[in-house]
Amino acid sequence: MTLAVEFQKVSRHFGQVKAVDRVDLAIAEGAFFAMLGPSGSGKTTCLRLISGFETPTSGTIRIMGEDVSRTPPHLRNVNTVFQDYALFPHMNVRDNVAYGLMVKGVDKRSRLDRAEELLAQVKLAGYGDRKPGQLSGGQRQRVALARALINEPRVLLLDEPLGALDLKLREAMQDELKALQKRLGITFVFVTHDQNEALSMADSLAVFSEGRIAQIGTPADIYDRPATRFVADFVGSSNVLPPGLTRALGGPAAWASLRPEATRLSAAGPVTGTVTALRYQGAGTRVLLTLQGTDIAAFVPAGQPLPEPGSTIGIAFDPAALHVMEGA
Amino acid sequence: MTAPAILPVRGPGDRFTALIWRQPRVLLALMLGPPLIWLGVVYLGALIALLWQSFYSIDEFSGLVVPEFTLKTYAELLRPQNFDIFLRTVSMAALVSLASGVLAFPIAYFAARHARGRWKAAFYLGVMLPLWSSYLVKVYAWKLILAKEGIVTWAAEATHTTAALEGLLALPAIGGNSLSTSYIGTFLVFVYVWMPYMILPMQAALERVPTSMLEAAADLGATRGQIFRTVILPLALPGIIAGSIFTFSLTLGDYIIPQIIGTSKTFIGMAVYQFQGTAGNVPLAAAFAMIPIVIMLIYLAIARRMGAFDAL
Repeated sequence: MTLAVEFQKVSRHFGQVKAVDRVDLAIAEGAFFAMLGPSGSGKTTCLRLISGFETPTSGTIRIMGEDVSRTPPHLRNVNTVFQDYALFPHMNVRDNVAYGLMVKGVDKRSRLDRAEELLAQVKLAGYGDRKPGQLSGGQRQRVALARALINEPRVLLLDEPLGALDLKLREAMQDELKALQKRLGITFVFVTHDQNEALSMADSLAVFSEGRIAQIGTPADIYDRPATRFVADFVGSSNVLPPGLTRALGGPAAWASLRPEATRLSAAGPVTGTVTALRYQGAGTRVLLTLQGTDIAAFVPAGQPLPEPGSTIGIAFDPAALHVMEGA
Repeated sequence: MTAPAILPVRGPGDRFTALIWRQPRVLLALMLGPPLIWLGVVYLGALIALLWQSFYSIDEFSGLVVPEFTLKTYAELLRPQNFDIFLRTVSMAALVSLASGVLAFPIAYFAARHARGRWKAAFYLGVMLPLWSSYLVKVYAWKLILAKEGIVTWAAEATHTTAALEGLLALPAIGGNSLSTSYIGTFLVFVYVWMPYMILPMQAALERVPTSMLEAAADLGATRGQIFRTVILPLALPGIIAGSIFTFSLTLGDYIIPQIIGTSKTFIGMAVYQFQGTAGNVPLAAAFAMIPIVIMLIYLAIARRMGAFDAL
C-alpha cells in the first residue's frame, strides 16, 4: 500500500526552538488523519512541512512515495484549506475557486465551469458572483474547500478547519467533511487542538507534544489506551492515576488511566474521598471527587442517585478498565 | 452598610460622560463639527471662489477683471503656448508618478513584509528623514549635485562613464547642457522629493495583505510572478493609487522645482504664480488651477471604474 505522506526523522528547528523534532509519521492513502495537540506542540509546523511552506532542517518527507523535502509549495500536488480561509477579497467566489486552474493556464470557459461544479459539490451553487466579504463564515469555509479541491490534490490539508465556526455549524461540517472525504477518496490531513473533533472525525490520529509525536493510533487506541500521562491528560477527560493511587485501588504501582464512564461510585471503595462538585451533562452527571489528593471524575447515568457535594465516597470499577501506561 | 445601586455623580465629567452614553451623536458632532466647518467654509469656499473667478475674463486694454460669466478664459488655455504648459506638466507628473511607483514598490514591500523591529524603525526614519529638512534646501542641494561641475559629473569621470552621461544629455528634448538644466534633472528631483508620499501609502496597503493569502496562491500552484500580478498588485492597488494621487497632484502644482532645476520652461504651478502675481490675470490663473483638479477627478473616476477600490 502506498503511503500518502511519510516523515522519516523529520526535524524543523527555528534557532534554539525545536518546533518539530525527529518525527516519524506514516499516513495511509485515503485516510482521514488528524494531528492533535496543544498550541506550540508542532502540529501546524508538520502541516506546513507537508504543504511546503516549511523546509525540514533534517529528515525526509515523501508524498505518494516521492521525496518532496526540497520541493516548493507550488509544485506539490497538495492543497490547503487555511485557518483564516485566505480567500482573495478582490475576486468573486467563482474566480476564487477557479484560481488554481487559472494559474495553470486552463482556458476561462472550462475553469469557470469546473468551479461551478465544485461550488455545487460544497452546496454553494449560485453563489459564484458574490464576493467573499458577502458570505458567512461557514460559506467562506466551503469556498476555501472548493478552491483547495479544484486542482485534485493527492492530499488535502486542513488547518483548524472548524475553529472559527459556531458549535452547531461545526457539528454539521464535521459530518460533511467526512462524507466529502469518503466520496472523493482523497487523503485528508487536518490539524486541531480539539480532542472531540479529532476523535470523532479521524480514522487515525497523532497526538503531538513538544515537537514530537506522543502517540499515534486509532481514536479508540488513543482514548482507551493512552501511551503516556500527557496523552491521557490532553485527549481525555480520562482520569490519570498516580502509582500510589493505582496501587491503593488494586492495580500495580504505575501510572494508569481510567475512563470516567467505567467508574462507578461505591460507598465502600478501597479508598474514599470528598465529593467536590457535580457537573450535569445531559445523559448523566460527572461527579468530581478527591482521592488521596488526586482529582477523579466518575460518571453517574441519569436517574441514579447522586451524592451531596462535601460527602465522603469511594469508587469501584471493572479491573479490565484500568489501563496501565508504559510512559511516565 | 451596602453600596447603592447608582454611584454618586462626582462632577461635570460624569455628567458629560452620561450625556454621551445616552446621545452618542453629541460626541460625533463635537469631534466632527470644527473640522467640517473648516473644510466647508475655508477649503471648499476657497475652491468655489477659484472656480468662479475662472469664469470671469480680463479686459485686454485696461487689464481689469470683467466680472461677467464667460468661457473666454478657458478658451485661452487652448492657445498653443498655454496648451504646451499643460502637456509639459501633465506628462512630467505622469512620468514622475510612474517612476515613483516602480522605485517605491520594492522598498514598501520590504518594509511591509520583511522588516521587523530595528529594520522597521530604520525604514521609517529613512523614508521620513528627507521630509525633516527644508524643501528649498533639498532642491538647491540637488542643483549642486546635478550641476555641470557637480558630484554626478565628477563621479562619471571617476568611473569613466562620462560618455554615458553625455549620451543621456545628448538625447533630444529631455537632454541639455547639464543635468541641472535639463528635463531629466527636473524629473530626478521630482521623483526624489515626492517619493515618501508614494512609499508610505503603498507600505500601508501591502501590510494589510495577510501572509496566508500569498501562501494560498502559492499552494494553488501560482509562481512568484503570478502571485504578484493576481494577488499582491490588486490588493496593493488602493495604496498605489493613493500614492500616485500624491505624487501626481504635487507635481502638477509645484512651481519651485521647475524654476530652479531644468529648462526654466513654464509648468502649471509657475503659470498660476505668474498670472495671478506679475500679470494680474487672476481669471487665467484660476483656469490653470482648475486643470489639476479636473485631472484628478477624471483619474479617480477611471481608477474606480477599473476596480482599484474594490479591495478596500
